[in-house]
Amino acid sequence: MGGYGDVQMIDENGVRADGRGPGDIRPITIETGVVPVADGSCRMTWGTNEAIVAVYGPMEAHPRKIQRQDRAVLDVAYNMAPFSTTDRMRPGFNRRSREVSKVTQDALESVVLLELYPRSKIRISIEIVSAEAGTRCVGLTAASVALADAGIPMTDLVVSVASGKINDVVVCDLNKEEDNYGEADLPMGIMPNSGELVFLQMDGDLSQDEFEQAWRYNMDAAQEIHKLMVEALNGGDSQ
Amino acid sequence: MTIPIVPKLLRSHLSDLAERDARIDGRGRWEGRELEVQHSILPRAEGSARVRMGDTIVLAGVKFQIMTPYPDRPNQGGLMCSAEVRPVAGRNWESGPPSPESIELGRVVDRGIRESGCIDVDSLCIIPGEKAWQVILDLFAISDDGNLFDAFALAGITALRNATVPAERFEVGEDYPLSVSKTPIMCSYHKVGGRFVFDATAREELGGDERIHITLGDDNNVHSLQKGLKGIFSAEEFTEIMDNAIERTEKLRKIVDEL
Repeated sequence: MGGYGDVQMIDENGVRADGRGPGDIRPITIETGVVPVADGSCRMTWGTNEAIVAVYGPMEAHPRKIQRQDRAVLDVAYNMAPFSTTDRMRPGFNRRSREVSKVTQDALESVVLLELYPRSKIRISIEIVSAEAGTRCVGLTAASVALADAGIPMTDLVVSVASGKINDVVVCDLNKEEDNYGEADLPMGIMPNSGELVFLQMDGDLSQDEFEQAWRYNMDAAQEIHKLMVEALNGGDSQ
Repeated sequence: MTIPIVPKLLRSHLSDLAERDARIDGRGRWEGRELEVQHSILPRAEGSARVRMGDTIVLAGVKFQIMTPYPDRPNQGGLMCSAEVRPVAGRNWESGPPSPESIELGRVVDRGIRESGCIDVDSLCIIPGEKAWQVILDLFAISDDGNLFDAFALAGITALRNATVPAERFEVGEDYPLSVSKTPIMCSYHKVGGRFVFDATAREELGGDERIHITLGDDNNVHSLQKGLKGIFSAEEFTEIMDNAIERTEKLRKIVDEL
């Protein structure tokens, strides 16, 4: 949340710099089976974000100390490819990618029926090959599609989407500039069938009313994105 | 990378096939898999490519940085090439520091491109002794079904050939295309069931022996060679694959040059 309103990103008619209205999301495409050697996979583009997720497993959990006698463990790794950002990203883990991996894992463990696969491991690799803004949302959403593509039973898919505030206006799905100069960011992970949440973060500054508006935008967007996810899983290209 | 246990059955099946001059996926000995090459597919990279060979898929991305030239070469920029095979690409690849396998991959591809002289490092100089471009080529595996070497090399040169130097972003002039004067191409051969085959799949790699990588330039000049893994080969065997590489690289170069 860098600037404080000195960059004009939305006009008086509520039209954003990229032509969207306040509640509109960027264009999305979803495709499954994109990593042929994996058990399940998904490629998702969202604006100029692109994530590729591969799922391997359930498979043997090793080292043995990570095994759980009553359930499977998830091993989620979120990573940004070196060419995914404007300035080259040095390969390897950093604090940010570790945190995103953890919250993504926590979210997915809440929906996967882990108790069906005791003592095993399910590995989920989230690779961001092109980053704009909202990569954790793209990664989490694509991961749930890849898990479904792998045939892993879940209580629901997870749709992750963020809303925020630019020039004192609440808007849905921030793009790069809006994310850099905006005043708030509220990413959520939503189970589209129940409307329950498995992931929530927020930073910035929102009044109670603004917060409610951002929440509503996310809930509405989740339904829209969910349709595309189901379409992709049913074999159709979402485009 | 964890090396999985090689089933004896797979090895003996592969040698049975070899005796009948057949391959596990029905291809001929020198036949490559279906190939797809695309460029400029990654919006954040200054040059990029995606190569698909059967079920092997890789990406290559080119980024630029400004560096201070080395004191003994004040008029030269630099080229850096690194390969990453992360767990996304296959169940045997693990996270953590780069494995010896992925370091070898990056270095062999790097040598082929560097030694061909396709990038004129003198042209990368901005202010002698002060500023020069460093070209960074990152190779990234999406799906490993064998022969990442050739896929990386092909994606790498394709990405470089379609790269733009981002001079405007660094405030040192106007953007211009990176000049790449040659098209080095790598061909890899793997000994499977006692004889060399071109473009091995993961299963052939698993049940095979040594591999040989050859990078040839525009005039068939040899720019890099690498023998990998345990195994012994004869001069006759090498001549045979070199002859095949000459033929093969010519076809592949045409594909890259015409993109």
